[in-house]
Amino acid sequence: MHHKRKALTRRDFLRGTIGATLGASMLGPKFTMARRAPAGASQVTIVRDQKAMDAANTVDPAVLKAMLDETLIKYTGEKTAKDAWGRLLMPNDTIGLVPTPHLNPTHQELVDAVKRSLMEAGFSEGKILNAQGGPDKPKACTALIGLPGLKAHWLTGIGTVMKLYIMYSGAPRNYHDENSAKLGEIWNYPFVTGKTKLVLVDALHPLGDKGPQVNPRYKWAYNGLIAGTDPVAVETVCLRIIMEKRKEMRGEPWPLSPPPLCVEAADKVYRLGTSNWDDIKVENYGWEEGLLLG
Amino acid sequence: MESKPLLPKTVGIWTRPNSPKLIDAISIFDYMDGAGELYLAYRFDHLEAIEYQAETQKEILVELYFMKASEDAFGLLSLDWGGESVDLSQSSSESTAHDKSLWPRALYGEGLLRIWSDNVYARVMAYQETPESKQAVLELGRAIVKGRSKPPAPEMMKALPNALLQNWKVHRDRAGYFRSHLVLNSLYYLSHENILDLNHSTEAVTASYEQQDPSGNHARIQFLTVLYPNHEHALKALSHFHESYLSDYPVPVDSKPSEDMENTFPVEDGWLGYRLHKNRLSFVFECPDQESSKKIINQME
Repeated sequence: MHHKRKALTRRDFLRGTIGATLGASMLGPKFTMARRAPAGASQVTIVRDQKAMDAANTVDPAVLKAMLDETLIKYTGEKTAKDAWGRLLMPNDTIGLVPTPHLNPTHQELVDAVKRSLMEAGFSEGKILNAQGGPDKPKACTALIGLPGLKAHWLTGIGTVMKLYIMYSGAPRNYHDENSAKLGEIWNYPFVTGKTKLVLVDALHPLGDKGPQVNPRYKWAYNGLIAGTDPVAVETVCLRIIMEKRKEMRGEPWPLSPPPLCVEAADKVYRLGTSNWDDIKVENYGWEEGLLLG
Repeated sequence: MESKPLLPKTVGIWTRPNSPKLIDAISIFDYMDGAGELYLAYRFDHLEAIEYQAETQKEILVELYFMKASEDAFGLLSLDWGGESVDLSQSSSESTAHDKSLWPRALYGEGLLRIWSDNVYARVMAYQETPESKQAVLELGRAIVKGRSKPPAPEMMKALPNALLQNWKVHRDRAGYFRSHLVLNSLYYLSHENILDLNHSTEAVTASYEQQDPSGNHARIQFLTVLYPNHEHALKALSHFHESYLSDYPVPVDSKPSEDMENTFPVEDGWLGYRLHKNRLSFVFECPDQESSKKIINQME
């Protein structure tokens, strides 16, 4: 039976025909109806501070708070973090914070900083939930803030933004292997679509290779936060950073293996945003050394 | 009967609980969602996890993956040859000829020690590397291997010659042993589907080979060989591969089944060659020309 479907192969990547193969023969039409991201460049904001972590990779909460404020202000163009949240969220929103739970998890310091920042902006603590988990979590929220940890992943190539909502499917194993290309469909589930108001990537201490379990040899202090509202654009920037770091580690191009199908599929099939680098406007602030944007 | 690793109650300032956490092939997904597939891709039996704690330093996690055979534990280590090779023998008398073999048995880097000890693959990780934690991690490593046998690397690793056509030299730190397409894809991506019909009854190895031209540029090819339980399985796998990967070329394998078959094809990243010989199916990818791909597959067993 397995012979009847067109298998996606290395040759599809070499030919540049992944999008067509994915769209036509692998994924089918389920949950591909998303709204297109707004026309124009998708903005992604990177804020870095060399002092975000010390030599032992312990996070400095004060520095992190300043980075968070700056990220919100620069991304939205508002004058304060409070105003920035006001632009991104509705006053009555029930807000779900969605961190990466395992295998290079999001720093708890970042989750705490976001929660405090929201409370300082006037959102009540009772309406700020941890929304990582099964489908009931997003159903309980009117707004989601994605807080993924930046990392490569041995089954999906990259395991950062698109993979963040995998538990919302209720069947995460259905999205591994070749089905990792379908991760984007979860973002279009009726109880998820349109709820993500910000993706804020924890790029303090990313993992560049050799999952599934963390090997500290492939972690490095990037000391950054990466923010945007186009999840595919944010993932594309994350991918660029990981690829550049891998090149630096080996001194030559070191492609992710397997390739990250989910990013292009999120764009071409699920229409969640753009994976085209030329359509992404990256703004970076703070520490510039080792920015890794090519 | 192989002795089980005996872990000390205390090591340096760290102390372990009385009992390990036991994880089987089902509960491994609760223990490490998104990662359990790696261990099940080999012949996994169970995992014992022990967390050493100290008041003044971060934890040290010991994970002992009990595999069905030494080959499977070796395979897990072979996925990453990075790090510093360390000798965990307690004395010179424990260092056998096998320790002088081509493949390390233990690798350390930045707080993580990975060990192949007969049928056990172990990960010992200090969440924060300090001189004290490194000492404790290595001491735990020595305790894990103490009194255990040191079988040689899987026979299949000998299928990776040191050189192909004399001038293509093996990249030893990019050689891996596996039984699953998931692992193959993490070493060298071919397809998200299992187009070589790999499973626990098969053994496979892959490595990249490099040569340097007079101007100093490096070229690379990839060698892959799979041992199937029988010729029929190998033939069926070749047919599946052909249909999936070489769909633009006629399938030559169903017309006149033979114990030996070889072929070369130009594809997007160079010449691909394969050879089917009895129950062994071997490939070379990314060859610069047809002549070298033919010569290499003729060199295959």
